[in-house]
Amino acid sequence: MRRQIPAIAGSLALGFLAAFPLVYGAADYDYIMHLWITAFFYAILASSWALLAGYAGQFSFGHMAFMALGAYTTGLFNNYFYLTSAATGTCFEIPFGSWYFVVLDPIGISATPFSCLDAAREAWAGNVVVKKPSLWFGILFGILVGGLFGWLIGRLVLRLRAAYLALFTLGFSEILRSVLSAELNITRGQAGLELDPLFPNGITIFGAVFDATDKLPTYYVMFALFLACIAIMLALERSRFGLFVRSLREDEDAAAALGVHTVRYKVLVFVVTSMIAAAAGAVQAHYIGIITPNILIILQMALVVAMAVVGGLESIIAAAVGAMVLYFLLEFLRNSFTIGDVTVDMTTWRLVFFGALVMLTLRFQRNGLLYPLIESCTRSGVAEETVAKRVAGASASEDAEAAK
Amino acid sequence: MIDLKVNAVQKSFGGLHVLKGVTFQVQGAELIGLIGPNGAGKTTLTNVLDGAIKPSSGTVYLNNARIDHLPPYQVAQAGLGRTFQVTRAFRRMTVLENLYVPALAMSAGKSQKDFQAQAMEILEFLTIDHLRNEYGRALSGGQQKLLELGRLLMLDPDIIILDEPFAGVHPKLMEIIYRYIHRVNDAGKAIILISHQMESIFTLCRRLLVLNYGDLIADGDPETVKNDPAVIEAYLGEEDDRSGIGSAQLGAPGNA
Repeated sequence: MRRQIPAIAGSLALGFLAAFPLVYGAADYDYIMHLWITAFFYAILASSWALLAGYAGQFSFGHMAFMALGAYTTGLFNNYFYLTSAATGTCFEIPFGSWYFVVLDPIGISATPFSCLDAAREAWAGNVVVKKPSLWFGILFGILVGGLFGWLIGRLVLRLRAAYLALFTLGFSEILRSVLSAELNITRGQAGLELDPLFPNGITIFGAVFDATDKLPTYYVMFALFLACIAIMLALERSRFGLFVRSLREDEDAAAALGVHTVRYKVLVFVVTSMIAAAAGAVQAHYIGIITPNILIILQMALVVAMAVVGGLESIIAAAVGAMVLYFLLEFLRNSFTIGDVTVDMTTWRLVFFGALVMLTLRFQRNGLLYPLIESCTRSGVAEETVAKRVAGASASEDAEAAK
Repeated sequence: MIDLKVNAVQKSFGGLHVLKGVTFQVQGAELIGLIGPNGAGKTTLTNVLDGAIKPSSGTVYLNNARIDHLPPYQVAQAGLGRTFQVTRAFRRMTVLENLYVPALAMSAGKSQKDFQAQAMEILEFLTIDHLRNEYGRALSGGQQKLLELGRLLMLDPDIIILDEPFAGVHPKLMEIIYRYIHRVNDAGKAIILISHQMESIFTLCRRLLVLNYGDLIADGDPETVKNDPAVIEAYLGEEDDRSGIGSAQLGAPGNA
């Protein structure tokens, strides 16, 4: 029975999360929905980082870079690619059936950008159809680009372990951030690259009409993405992939000596986790509506690491739940309070509490706060079984000796 | 028939020549002892054979296929398995999971369930079946050695290199390792046994290879090797330094 507790608790939690937007009706609905959407985002990042670092032992600090690759790929796709029913003559374009696939020139940081397509539009005087490709293609490209870079980084770090791997991936992340800042004609740098919302024209679900700014459709998109990512990672964890990447973490040389293609699985785990991070980044970018290079600052990476560590690095579920709990905790800790005449400004102090929690976890509960609870359920009875079998084995030996 | 050919294998680390053209052949289900003083090159030779390091020159063929340029996982799949001098059990994986790793690595399209019965039989043989669901880190040092041996049975290679299997092991566990060696050897597998425990070497092995500072200085039956002047000198130093010691330090056959 005790072994079933995590599955039962998980099912109840999923039911709660699936029903929550439909039954919650308080005045702060939009704010709470925003918190949940962002919590799912961090849960995807923390759990995928747990797969990379906790299962496979690859302590990468470039995870947010893959998230940013997903965000910027779909952002650039959303801003630069158009379909027109006539040639612009001014932009780079590729004929595509009866359409033209148009790529704009760099949009720069002007508040009123005038693109090559705007010039063409003036000439067309409204007689030509211009539309954007579905932003879901951009999200898909974002995931693929994340996977491609995951493969590349996975290949480059094959011989690196521990601190060297961490520093290498941190370097990659900082380079990407610098490139995104420097190439401001293309990315708009700190001015921010704007993106269309996930449903720019709104959406109708079972007869209910939602406009582009309604939170409910985005909640379910992010929730579905969260479920899909968790399902994929759990399926991988329980397959030979999971067994092999854990053997990598334990002892790469011993795993190779036992026939495990260590290179393949090391690269694969980078590709899978990078694609998941990129997917989260791409969807979140459309939800927030604007991205800057600050999305991959080291503080963001540290936040994801801390979430996974506090939840439990060696469990995808624990890391995901840890991320959600910590995110809500951080948010609710924003409320300042007074002790006598002293006002404690929690907008600053909450990070101190947060840091202290991470330090205490690492010092006293290295496996996280949640993972040991899950493990105590899933492994309940193992110690008793070991003792019972040992006693039974000893009795059998004594009987055999007596029979002699 | 099993055929391992090691031809003029050399390995240097900077100016240090660890292996100086080692040549030998293993044919069939031989049980060979590989001995030598500390620093002789035994572990380096093992690492070259299993692909962990590439030789500076020379070749290694296993069953007529060249393996010296292959990565370790391909060498394992080609039929050469090994244990490590310092036990390397997967500590945060259960005992059963430790055994499933090589089994699944050797067979595509199968799952852990397909190997459960085989794994349990091996654990019972090694007398650690009661620990099957415990993590590797919960096992004692000796039990972890048994676990490593169990993993090799799941890998089922043609040739097994056992690097110091008796080091720090309780006599009761040594009996189990003896039985393990006989079981593997009787199943037609070749074994290269590296050990400083001469009693075990002389009891178990029918052929000895002796390495000294990277040179293979002797290759023959235990009795011949034991009386080889080069071997005695390697182990005991110059003639003048070993008065009164004789060859006792090299052990004697049958006295284990």
